[in-house]
Amino acid sequence: MKRQHEDAGREGDCPVAMGLETGKGKMVPMMTTGDGECGVDELLAALGYKVRASDMADVAHKLEQLDVAMSSDDASHFPQFASDTVHYDPSDLSTWLDSMLCEVNSPLPTLLPSPTATAHCSNGHSLSISSNSTVTKDSTAAPPSASGVYDFEPVPSPAAASVGRVVYETDPQSEKILSPRDSKRIRTCSSSSSSGGPTKEVASFLKQATAALPVVVVDTQETGIRLVHALLACGEAVQQENLNAADALVKQISVLAAFQRGPMRKVAGYFAEALARRIYRHNPLPQADRVALDFLHSHFYESAPYLKFAHFTANQAILEAFAGCHRVHVVDFGLKQGMQWPALLQALALRPGGPPSFRLTGIGPPQTDNSDELQEVGWKLTMLSENIGIDFHFRGFLASSLADIEPQMLLEPEGKKGERDGGDEAVAVNSVMELHQLLARPGAVEKVLGTARALRPRIMTVVEEEANHNGRTFLERFTESLHYYSSMFDSLDNGANGEAEEEIEEQRRHREMADAYLGRQICNVVASEGMDRTERHETLGRWRERMAQAGFEPVHLGSNAFKQANMLLALYASGDGFRVEEAEGCLTLGWHTRPLIATSAWRIGAAAAIR
Amino acid sequence: MMMLLLPHREEEEEGGAAGRRRFPINDNADLLAEVLGRLDGRSLAVAGCVCRLWSAVGRREAVWEAVCHRHVAVGRAGAAGGTRSVVAALGGYRRLYRLCIGPALDRLAGVRRQGPAVSSAARHVSLSLALSLFSIDCYERLGGVGGRQQQPPASLLFLCKPVDVS
Repeated sequence: MKRQHEDAGREGDCPVAMGLETGKGKMVPMMTTGDGECGVDELLAALGYKVRASDMADVAHKLEQLDVAMSSDDASHFPQFASDTVHYDPSDLSTWLDSMLCEVNSPLPTLLPSPTATAHCSNGHSLSISSNSTVTKDSTAAPPSASGVYDFEPVPSPAAASVGRVVYETDPQSEKILSPRDSKRIRTCSSSSSSGGPTKEVASFLKQATAALPVVVVDTQETGIRLVHALLACGEAVQQENLNAADALVKQISVLAAFQRGPMRKVAGYFAEALARRIYRHNPLPQADRVALDFLHSHFYESAPYLKFAHFTANQAILEAFAGCHRVHVVDFGLKQGMQWPALLQALALRPGGPPSFRLTGIGPPQTDNSDELQEVGWKLTMLSENIGIDFHFRGFLASSLADIEPQMLLEPEGKKGERDGGDEAVAVNSVMELHQLLARPGAVEKVLGTARALRPRIMTVVEEEANHNGRTFLERFTESLHYYSSMFDSLDNGANGEAEEEIEEQRRHREMADAYLGRQICNVVASEGMDRTERHETLGRWRERMAQAGFEPVHLGSNAFKQANMLLALYASGDGFRVEEAEGCLTLGWHTRPLIATSAWRIGAAAAIR
Repeated sequence: MMMLLLPHREEEEEGGAAGRRRFPINDNADLLAEVLGRLDGRSLAVAGCVCRLWSAVGRREAVWEAVCHRHVAVGRAGAAGGTRSVVAALGGYRRLYRLCIGPALDRLAGVRRQGPAVSSAARHVSLSLALSLFSIDCYERLGGVGGRQQQPPASLLFLCKPVDVS
């Protein structure tokens, strides 16, 4: 991809003269010497147009739009076209069309309320933005100048100056390539780098994930851009307690969201609902009972690979830590339906040397009705273990918060210790997306980590969402969660459409439930505050710090876990969109370039062990 | 037709100069099982539709075990006997193939067709992964204490094409 643009860039320099000579409409056979011609459509190349095969549909679409635009424009635009066409090299058809469409669209008046950030959306697809830098970093940046916002004249507002911009990571090479281009095009079509913020466009329909693309696709669905702008503006208005403006924007968002399709529509819908809740103080979200939450959770388990990835990688770490032990004990901080454990039981049954005797302590929230979910799960696991020949014991604990658990409760019951052969038991602590909920109460997470350490585990596996939804200001959390859930919904959507055949009813139902599961999270992040806001996701870096402070040191997850994760993802229909990455011994699963969930393993650090 | 020729050739050395001896494969079920065990899953399922004998032999666990082992990459050399008992407890090799290995192989073949985006390490199904998925499915089917069957097991839906699952 990069080479393609390098070629085009080189052309942009010299053969302007060529364009002038040939004039509009003449075809010049310009075979470039670029060797990165892979994927260029051959038939068009013979005519002198360089179009990548993967772009064909997009180019066709843009041609249509240009046709419509030119035919519907009034006469005042024609002189502009007539004089400007020759400046552009039509052989790189895709970018030529972009520039033409920019010219067409730029005179349009803007109806947008203060655009507070720039964003790129591809047609109808969701907001696949990957953002590495947080919004606050750019809050001191220079306000977007006239060259900053493509497609609109920015409405000057005091708000726009102070708000952070959404920034993207980029490839520095692309900046250089853009500069030889026509300056007019840069002004209208790309985000400026006045603030030093880099630009990037992720064309999700190209499914290119790695190299940063030097832009420039004009989004022809203006509602998509306006929707994003409106969302961000609303978030900013809420941050400033300007509830009237926020109210108006929320209504606008709902209207705009109706024009979208697919994941973008869902994301916008959930965020609009959450914002409305926050504005109108419909708080707190009615506390759904545990059965419903578990129901949604299990559907999320089935429709996306994230939880399976978490379970498989954590199990692999636990399996390796238990090598050679004859009595093992696993403490699961959030048992839910116990879906993690059958695979571990099977792996232990088949390990060389035979299975150990296995004890599981499952912790779950208290039930509102009289059913005992924990015991049911325990019973099922016991049955499974009997079938496959593992000596299995189960204990369930009901606790409304993990911080209520004391280590003595979890250790082996008195009197039994020493009676069994095989010596001490090896302990593993497992926490899948449980720790972040403790951050609402100060001191809770430290207490829980202390409890975990007091159990002297061989290994502690921690799986958490890879996001920063616990920033100090609302706007930080809002924009971060907008990116995160956009990627998340995008990945779920592609998962469904990966197969050519129609989605079966079951899968659609699962996906809808999974969407609802995520929607609840969104509501919690956006609309709740204080103790109610339990979805306080933090990044892997922050968790590393916390674990280190609690006296743990990292254990590298190893290549077996990595391989197994990759194999698992290969089985998913949209496997190429998911990425497993390794970061300092931890594994993350993400959608294209955005990591969404991270697994890490820990053991008691040498220094703490002395205590 | 091919099936009948195979044992044919094996018996040729005893035929002598008098011409080939006919050896109906259906006379020897174990030999038939050996032959069927060398098929891939789909062909074996088709072979099970030929006649009652073939259907019965084609349902033998040993046959499906051979098929499974042929199509998966066995990561660690675990005790074969141990694997057998665990798989039997979880539902058997035939079920393992039908629910996990078969769909996984189909999915990977489809991916391979679409393009070389998937890394080579991820292209084959490992036995441990297949067994993990199988055990999860088996667990889901266990049902509740009071016979309260919750929603039908769906952890393997992501592998299935829209054809009847069970």
